[in-house]
Amino acid sequence: MKIVACYSNKGGVGKTATSVNLAYAIAQSGQRVLLCDLDPQGASSFYFRVKPSKKLTDERFFKDVERFTKAIRGSDFDNLDILPANMSFRDFDVFLSRMKNSRSRLKKALKAVDGDYDVVLLDCPPNISTLSENVFRSADRIVVPVIPTTLSERTFEQLLAFFDEHKLNRKKLLPFFSMVERRKSLHTQTMGRLRNRYKKLFLDSTIPYATDIEKMGIQRAPVLSYAGSRAAGRAYDEFWREIIKKLQKKV
Amino acid sequence: MFLVRGPIDRQMFGKPGGKLVPVWHEDDSEERYVLLDCFDQSIRRSGAVLIEAAGQLTLIGRDGRTVVQPATRTGNFVGDLEPGPVRRALGMVPELRSLLEIGTGKFRQSRLALIDGEQKTHARARFLTLRPETASSVSEEAEITLASVQGLRGYDKAYRALRKKLGAEVKDDGVASALYGGPVAYIAKPDIKMTGDEPAFQAASDIISAYITVARQNEPGIIADYDTEFLHDYRVALRKIRSVLSLFKGVYGDAETEMLKSEFSELMVPTGRMRDLDVYLLDQDHYFEMLPETLHSGLTKMFDLFSKERQAGLRAFTRRLRSSGYNKKILVLAARFADRDTLDPGPNAKLHATDYACALIWKRYRKVCKIASGIDDQTEDEEVHELRIHCKKLRYLMEFFAPLFPSGEIKGLIKPLKRLQDNLGLFNDYSVQQISLQAFLEDHPTSRSKDNLAIAQSIGALTAALHQRQLDERAKVVSNFTQFDSPEVRKKFRSLFHKKGK
Repeated sequence: MKIVACYSNKGGVGKTATSVNLAYAIAQSGQRVLLCDLDPQGASSFYFRVKPSKKLTDERFFKDVERFTKAIRGSDFDNLDILPANMSFRDFDVFLSRMKNSRSRLKKALKAVDGDYDVVLLDCPPNISTLSENVFRSADRIVVPVIPTTLSERTFEQLLAFFDEHKLNRKKLLPFFSMVERRKSLHTQTMGRLRNRYKKLFLDSTIPYATDIEKMGIQRAPVLSYAGSRAAGRAYDEFWREIIKKLQKKV
Repeated sequence: MFLVRGPIDRQMFGKPGGKLVPVWHEDDSEERYVLLDCFDQSIRRSGAVLIEAAGQLTLIGRDGRTVVQPATRTGNFVGDLEPGPVRRALGMVPELRSLLEIGTGKFRQSRLALIDGEQKTHARARFLTLRPETASSVSEEAEITLASVQGLRGYDKAYRALRKKLGAEVKDDGVASALYGGPVAYIAKPDIKMTGDEPAFQAASDIISAYITVARQNEPGIIADYDTEFLHDYRVALRKIRSVLSLFKGVYGDAETEMLKSEFSELMVPTGRMRDLDVYLLDQDHYFEMLPETLHSGLTKMFDLFSKERQAGLRAFTRRLRSSGYNKKILVLAARFADRDTLDPGPNAKLHATDYACALIWKRYRKVCKIASGIDDQTEDEEVHELRIHCKKLRYLMEFFAPLFPSGEIKGLIKPLKRLQDNLGLFNDYSVQQISLQAFLEDHPTSRSKDNLAIAQSIGALTAALHQRQLDERAKVVSNFTQFDSPEVRKKFRSLFHKKGK
């Protein structure tokens, strides 16, 4: 089981769209996916039409295997379940490590329903906190959407600094360019500069700024499920394949 | 998997005021399906159903579990199907039985989703509706629907509610009995009702009458040449009739018995060579394995000739089965054994069936033991053949009269007998095959052509191999009889068939 976090220390960069579409694409490929909506705004749950559970707000939640597994909801798509969480995260690291420990009750409880999850995808809230640090340690990879603008460039550098400061493995980071507008010279220039500065760190695939992605709010479904053959759909398709390849490699 | 008989009432899935709304989705239009099974309906008897529709084979098991695979195949035997889950699950179909079209009908598929106010699905169901076409009409009453419910994690309530609405889950052979209608039409070994109090004349005539029906049921399949089992079953049925005539001594008058025996023998005559050829052809791979590759070309030529001979034989036999002469003859025989007024009863006709059965079986059993006890490794083959024939007769008698004895008892005795019979059967087959290969050689003299020379070489080697096999089987006879001749078996035979005071 691999844990992939989707994280950005800046809002409005397409983080939830990334989580939702990545989860959907991997599930479609036949792997079992659990998407954990850790963002207090609960947006990825919204896209899958799953109502956030009111009972899950207290922190005892992560200690309680039964409450955790009961909160999981099947999405309308095969192989894709949602944990519509909306909670405090004091014990989140404990929870993540239990998820990986094959002898833990949590792991067994997760397995009981339909076989093991192959990928657990975490849609993280947008701030650097104790939670984030725990996530960075437990996750196998951290997918980071970056809009190619000067402001995003700065927040990305802050994230790198945080990693160095806390002796976290930078190689876990999978930054990629999000909401890219090819017509804007600022975007192309920024992308060029960052790719040059951080050799091989950024993913090759990029996600464009597209109305089809914005329409997710109306469709309440992953882009790939309604616009799979269009530009945005094709971009997400390339994107998940690259992520899966990276996941197979050790850091 | 749920089974619903008759049309589905869609109203029941979403009552007004309920929280969840039912959304129906129809998959394509109605399509034709074909119900497949072999002639003896092995699939149905196992409680399963095999359907071909829209390029797919769907096997619905006794428990409703369904497997699907592409319908593409090279022939209609299970071995001709592509490797896949359906083929793997069709173990109940005999290897030599061809799949046939047993029935047809229309099917359609639909899906149901129960969704909430956020348009989120809480539970789903798939429906496969099958409407069998009967000769008389396509009635909605005969329609059945198979439903499978899919729950989504965390929405147990909707899942449970949906299952509850669908009612009973498929069990036993619910699907099969719904789709086939009527009892299994063909049974190679029919259960013949016997009380034991009927006179021997009636018992014998009941058995013969039942097996005339069995033989006749195989005629269309022989003509269509679906598989070799039709001819085989036809022959077995006639052979059983002949056994009754020769084993049930004195039930019919002597002259009557002789005449009937010759009439049934005559029916069988043209089938003998064809059956031999079937056996050779079915065993082809085996023969090729027996010989080194250098001798394969002769075998190939020989099998080509066999296959041509079989085709010609089948054409001739088909003509015969369709001829008015044959049909008249068998109809007359069937009518005589149904009415029985014209049958001449013999001195034993009025004997009590059970007493008669016990006497016959006991006598035959003693005979088998007597011959077998005299057999050792030095005994002439003739004696071994003799033993084989008596074992066969004993087996037939036990099977004919099985309904008169506690079920299970006869089976328990047949099992060790069968082992001995299999051994003796192989011994006989290898011996007969050597003789018939020699005869074949004499019909194709080596001087005539180069092909015949190759055939002769192969037959020579084959005969040697068969002879060795015959010796191997011969060596097992004594030990197999010793196993059959155990104290328990002896005791059982005595207690069942030789009760004191009878």
